[in-house]
Order: sequence, then C-alpha cells, then structure tokens
Amino acid sequence: MVRDAREESGVVALADLTVRAASSSESTMADSLAPLKTVGHATPRIDAVDRVTGKATYTRDVTLPGMLYARVLRSPHAHARIRSIDTSKASALAGVKAIVTHENCKVVWGAGGISGGRQYSDEVKAITRQRRYAFNNPVRFVGDPVAAVAAVDRHVAEEALQLIAVDYEVFPFVLDHEEALKPDAPKIWPEGNLSLDADNEAKPMGQRRGNVEEALRQSERVFEDRYSTQFVHNAQMEPRACVAAWNGDTLTVYTPTGGIANCRHDMARDLGIPEEKVRVICRYMGGNFGNKNQNQDTDLIAATLAKLAAAPVRLEMSRKEDFIGMHGRWPTTQYYSVGVKGDGTVNAIRLRAVSGMGGYRKNSGGMAGVELYACGNTESSIAPAYTNKTVSGNYRGPEFPQGYFGVQSMMDDVAYKLKMDPVEFVLKNMARTAPGNAAFTNFTLEECIRRGAEAFEWKRRWRPQPGSDSGPLKRGAGMAFMEFRSGVGRSSAVISLDGKGQYTVFVGVTDVGAGAKTTMGLIAAEELGIPLSKLEVVWGDTDRCPYSVGESGSRTTIMTGYAVIEAARDLKKQIVEKGIPKGEQKLIASATPNPTVEGRKVRNAFGAHFVEVEVDVELGHVRVTKYVSVADCGRLINPLTAKGQMAGGAIQAIGMALHEDLIYDQRTGQPLTAGFYYDRLPTHRDAPDIDVLFVESDDGYGAYGSKSLGESGKAPGPAAIANAIFNATGHRFKDLPITRAKILEALA
Amino acid sequence: MTKFNDNEVSRRAFLEGTGAALAVAATSTPLAAQTPGAPASTSVPRTAIRVVVNGTAHRVEVEDRWTLAELLRDHLGLTGTKLGCERGECGACTVQLDGKPVYSCSTLAVWVDGRSVRTVEGLARGGRLDPLQQAFVEHDAPQCGFCTSGQLMVARSLLDANPHPTADEVRSAMAGNLCRCSNYNRYVEAILAAARA
Repeated sequence: MVRDAREESGVVALADLTVRAASSSESTMADSLAPLKTVGHATPRIDAVDRVTGKATYTRDVTLPGMLYARVLRSPHAHARIRSIDTSKASALAGVKAIVTHENCKVVWGAGGISGGRQYSDEVKAITRQRRYAFNNPVRFVGDPVAAVAAVDRHVAEEALQLIAVDYEVFPFVLDHEEALKPDAPKIWPEGNLSLDADNEAKPMGQRRGNVEEALRQSERVFEDRYSTQFVHNAQMEPRACVAAWNGDTLTVYTPTGGIANCRHDMARDLGIPEEKVRVICRYMGGNFGNKNQNQDTDLIAATLAKLAAAPVRLEMSRKEDFIGMHGRWPTTQYYSVGVKGDGTVNAIRLRAVSGMGGYRKNSGGMAGVELYACGNTESSIAPAYTNKTVSGNYRGPEFPQGYFGVQSMMDDVAYKLKMDPVEFVLKNMARTAPGNAAFTNFTLEECIRRGAEAFEWKRRWRPQPGSDSGPLKRGAGMAFMEFRSGVGRSSAVISLDGKGQYTVFVGVTDVGAGAKTTMGLIAAEELGIPLSKLEVVWGDTDRCPYSVGESGSRTTIMTGYAVIEAARDLKKQIVEKGIPKGEQKLIASATPNPTVEGRKVRNAFGAHFVEVEVDVELGHVRVTKYVSVADCGRLINPLTAKGQMAGGAIQAIGMALHEDLIYDQRTGQPLTAGFYYDRLPTHRDAPDIDVLFVESDDGYGAYGSKSLGESGKAPGPAAIANAIFNATGHRFKDLPITRAKILEALA
Repeated sequence: MTKFNDNEVSRRAFLEGTGAALAVAATSTPLAAQTPGAPASTSVPRTAIRVVVNGTAHRVEVEDRWTLAELLRDHLGLTGTKLGCERGECGACTVQLDGKPVYSCSTLAVWVDGRSVRTVEGLARGGRLDPLQQAFVEHDAPQCGFCTSGQLMVARSLLDANPHPTADEVRSAMAGNLCRCSNYNRYVEAILAAARA
C-alpha cells in the first residue's frame, strides 16, 4: 500500500529535515540531488501491520509437529577442564530424548572463533589452530556450553540439566585484558593470550604512516593519556533461539539470523553436509546489532539434538544465557600520544591499545579513529587479548564507538589545552582524504559539521571555560564526528514478472529492524517505474531467495539494493526484448553485481553528533538536554526508517556512555550484571529527543547513492557525550561508562 | 466480555487459600488434558481453570508451574505476546489482565482463573486496527518489532485510563517496556497521535 506520507501529520517534518548538500567541486558525479519518484519518500514498512497485530512469526513462535524442547547446560566456571560428564541420571528422566556433550558432538563452530576477523573466509577457518567447538574442553568463560538436552517440554529439559553431573578441574582465570597479556597470566590457549591472527600468528593489528617517533620529537607540544571502554552487550530484545528439523538428510533451520545465506553456508560447512541440503528460514527477527550475521553454536546444537532424537528441536535461551552466551562490544584500553605544531595542527598520533576478546576470537578487536585526522605520521598497535569472559564480537560499528571515544576525547582535551574551540579544532584537523592520500568519492564532512553546529547552536551552548556554570546543575556541550566506511561489494537479487502483472522481488534479507524489506521494495519500484503497491517482496528463506551479504556492516542497502537495481534493469531489458508476459508466461531477471569504486577512492558516510548535557554534580546525575545528529548517509531510500535508525543509534550511545557494563566478580569470575536490569539499558525515561539532520548526497555508488546508515548513528555518540560532560564539569572522565558513582567520586 | 464475578477468586484470596484451592481442584473431575505432547506425568500438579482470552472463554487444565505467557503462547496458540527475558525486566510479554497491564512471564496461569485476558491479537476489532496499531504503523514505531506487542498493551491501558496524556506521562507509564532498537521517541509520538485521533 503506497501512502504519500508527506500528507500525514508528524511525518511531514521529516522532509524538512533533509537538506540537499551543496554541489561539491570535489564530486565528479551529478551535483544536484534530483528527487526520485518512490525512493526518498517516507514510507511505512510493508510488514508493519504484521508487526503490530502479533502476526509476525519470530523463531520461538515456530512450532512443528512432534517438536522437542532443548536447554543448554553452561559452564559455571570461568576456566576449567571437564574431567568427566555423567549424563546417566538425566537420560533416565522420563521425557528426555537426547543429550549431547563434547564427548558425542565434535562439531566445530567455524564462525565462533575466526582468529583474525576475516570472518567469511573458509580458507582461514580451515587452517586456524584455535578452533572453537560447539562444546569446548577446556571451557573458557562462565557460560561456555557444556551439554544440551532435548526433551518433551522445556520443564523436563530444565530438570534434566540439573541431573547432569560434571567433574571440573578448575583453573585459575584472568578477567582483565591488560592483565591477560602479562607473562605470568593464566594461559587461556596454549599459544598464550595474545590472539592468533588469520595466519596463525600472535601479533597485534596495526598500521603505520610516516615517522611517528620523529614527528613526536619535532612537535611543539606532546600530549599523552589513557582511555578505556567497557564491554557493551548487543542486548537485542529477542533472545537467540533455534528450531532445527531434519527430513531425511535435509536440514531446515529456523533461526534469528541477519544473514540466511551466510548461516546456511556455515551450517553446511560445520555439519559437513552439502549446502543444498540446508534450508534457513528467518521471517522476522528481534534485532541483532551485528551479532547474528552467521550461524550460532546454538543452531549447531539444536541440529545435532534433532538428528539424535529424530525429531524437530526448539532450543530456547534465557535472557541471562543470551547475555553470557551471545556476545557484545569488545572492551578496550587505549594509550595515546599526540604531537601538535604551534598552530594547533596535529602532527603525530600514536595509539597502543588492548582489546578484550573473551574466551575466543570471534571478530576483529580492531579500533577506528586515528584515521579521522589529517596527520601524516600515525602508528597504531592493537593487541586482541583473550580473557575468561563472555566472548566479544560485532556490535553496531564494531570498532568505532570505542576508538572514537578514545581518540576524540584525547583530541578534545588537546583542543582544550590549546585553548581552541573543539569545532574549530576538528575543522582544522579532520581528514579530507583517506589514509595514503586517496580521495573520497565525495566529501561533505565540513558541511555536516557546520550545519550541525548551527542547528545545535554550538556557540550558545559550548562553555569556553569548562565547568563554569555556578550551582550544582552544570551544563556543557561536546561534539564528535565520523567518517564511516560505506564500501560497495557483491550481493544478489532476483525479480520476476508474471502474466498477471505481478512483480516479485526476491532478496535474501530478514530485516533485523532497519526495514530492509521495504527499502528493497522502494528501490525496485523506483527502478521499474511502478508504485510500491504493485510489488511483492519475498525474503527470509534460502529456498526462495538468492544470496545477500547479510544485515551487518551497514551493507544491505548499498550492496543488495544495488543488486536490485541491476536485476530491475535486466527485467526491463527482457520486457523490451520479449514483451510483457501473458497467461502462464513469466520473466525472471537476476543479478549478482560486484561493483568497485574507481581508482583508489574511498567511500565514507560523514557526520557528527552535538550533545548538551546537564550534570547534577551533587547527585552525579547526567541528563541529555539537547542532541543533534547530523549525517551524510548518501541518498535516503526511506526517510521514515532512516531517521529511526539514527535516533536509535544515538540512544544506544547514551547507554554506552553512561550506564551499560558487564561487570564480573573478580574473585569468582562470575558475570554479575547479565541482564537488562543490571546492565542498565536505557528506558523510555532515559531517551531524550534526538534531532536528526540529514545532508543528502549522491556520489554515484550504492543504490542511488546510498551510504552506511545503520551503524553510523551510534559511532560518534559516546565521544560527544563524554566531551559534553567535560565541558559541563571541567573534569575529564576517561573510562566508560561514566556512571553516577564515578561522577560523585570525582566531583562531590 | 464474560466475567465470572460471582465465582471470581481474588488473587489475594487465592494465594491465601492456595492449599485449599488446589485441594479442591485435585478432587474435582479432571478435565481432558488440552496440551498435546505434554507427558501425562502424575507428579506435576495441575489445575483446571476458566479464563476469557480476547473475548473467548476457555476451560483448560494447566500445570501449576506454567506462566500466563506459556499458556497463551504454547497452549492457546497466541504467539503475538513475546518473551524477552522471562524475569520481569523488559515488558515484552505485557498483556492486559482485567484491563490492567501485567507481565505475563511473571504471572502464573493459575492466577488468571475466572479472569479475562487481552493480548495483542485482541486489539483489532472486526478487522479494523486499533487507533494505536494504526498510529504505530504510520509513525514507524516498530523497528525489529519484538517489543511492540508489549508496548501496545501498555499504551492501550494508558489511554484507557488517561485519554490525553502528556509526553512525560507516556514515558512514565511505559518505563517498564524496553526497546533496544531505542525507538522510544517514535513510540511516544505514535501514542500521542493515537490519543489525538
């Protein structure tokens, strides 16, 4: 159903918020952003009615005939070797149909520990030495799976878990990622606690440009400091679950994955069966923020139980299990040395950092931020370290908010010590080209910052003297900016037209919440020149949908959207060649483009967050009083869902800056805050109004110029908030989260 | 909506007389089990209850350990109510019990004997969306949609009690419903729009 949302009250304002970028002399593509017919208009989601009537089927809503229920027994120890497991009493319990442990299940979970973050490479997984199994021995964190039971109902399964006797040899453990790298730390892997990379080598990640040592010597002033960020759980509302069913040697898996094609590939590889024998279905899923683009160990466990029990199995995870058994953003400790010239130009940046990866290296542990500055002398060295904690993995801009907090707090402090306005400092020092002097496809960062500062009234809100407000309620303003990867790449789409005039778009998306189904529909409708109402979108089933890159990394709109355009173009060509199909005829067009950006150009989304806070220094309470998020995310396909993404990212940034943490008991290695309440997720009452300002552009790439959007909305937030707190109080908090306790300790 | 006012056992009285009530249930003629696949385990206490759900009267034998969420989702086929935590900290499972919002994960099925429950499936009437549902669609309130059912049920209760709330009153009333997509402002916008409709 197509609605001209401009007429709907409350939605009209969105059009006003979209500002066309001034034509840029650096852009080689069409300067002005010509409005399109369907794309670019606020459109309610095509599946919105299902979502509000309870008809949307999520994984745990799926019931199959004869289905069993599974529960996972998880390690109560942070680090231990399993001497023996006795499942005899559990097996004897009436209603128990199958039990698996490391003894009868040797399945490797390839995507669970990639040693280097090159997560989609089968070559890496084939050679990696530090393999992660569905059931590991030794267990390396509280929550590492030890056994699983399938029974006639969940209560029997839970009871059975209690009857499994495990004899552990408990080892010493290490929780802190810097402690883990010391020579006398307990070894979590035989090769030590510095994680092996994709080549099976233990060495930090890093980059180097120019000569940092020389540049620091030549700098007028050198500043050094240390910043740290905490583990932040993805905490999506839907706990992970899985329904697995075998039909002969064919496996069907219902699972909340953001990438059905990737999940299918992973399941086939891990179980040692052909990909054609695996079907993955995900019709709706309750969020992931990056942790569900592949398969999960619970998918493998459910499939194994289903095979053993010769019945479908639904494996459900509790909220605590999701917190400790899924993953979250890697914690970091960052040490910066920054050298500046007399005129305030940054001359040298050195970063030494450690990332805490948990018991396994699921993702990269990297850190963005140093490349934000136009500085010819930089050096980063980031050591991904194992710890006996819940595994770290991808969460909304996996390497961005942590690094951005560190480096942009550092630079904000440099600006303060140089008595420079932070906005002026950023405009002076922001990178206008990519590392190695590669050009961007277009550069709108300056415009974003200027427009954002104006909309935020920066001059009025920023205090030249931090902490200068009198009385216990102190206000201040801070900002941070972003240059967020928006590369192009391979994906697929299929579009058909039948004899009744029905267009159908087949895309391998599941819609993690960003509205991918609608976005793909809008793009197809635009390219085909038809209203959205004439289009059906088919998604979420590997039997019906082609490959899609998977909804993480902010790539679906850019890559799968572009595949939709190419498929539409092919369909239009076929219509010209063969005529409109009649009766039983059907035209089918498919495309799997793999575009590249010309030359060495780099493609980024740009933007900035401007935040004003009010800090009650007597109570330690921080209130966000104004928040402006300005971004060039290329062309907006659907301004309605786009705004929601940016606002949601900003509120998640508030959670990271002020509240959230997975705290461990130092004596026992137990996670203490594994749940929504303890983890202090932002609630309705913690959510301020977020003003979202888009500066649209079209650099000729992506789908109609679309750039990264889903992740970028969070990236600069924690830094902006922390900088605002400094401006308000005059005290620089260098360790996230900036909790009430920390504020009171520092100021009261 | 059918109400069993004369026979209704208040929750407090039920809890006070739990032992007695269960004894009564155990001695009365047991109803045929309505839950396919459950073991006929004699050691699991069961109770026959009557409950009206979305206007339909049900007589069902429940295990005493079932939550209301379990009864609704697994045994009455109403999967619109979602489970985000099963321990009363997220609100995704909110339903209306005699018109008041409760966390169905923290409500025992036996406690709804003689009462009426409304879930998200019961909001639309005669094929027409509730104004709240309509507003949620237009204002893009659901992102991943997992918290949406709970948000709707609390919002419905709020507007039933306070037809013209302020934005602050909405946020206060909804504080027990988490949204990790953090689409909070859209929910508030949609609820205020529905209140104006």
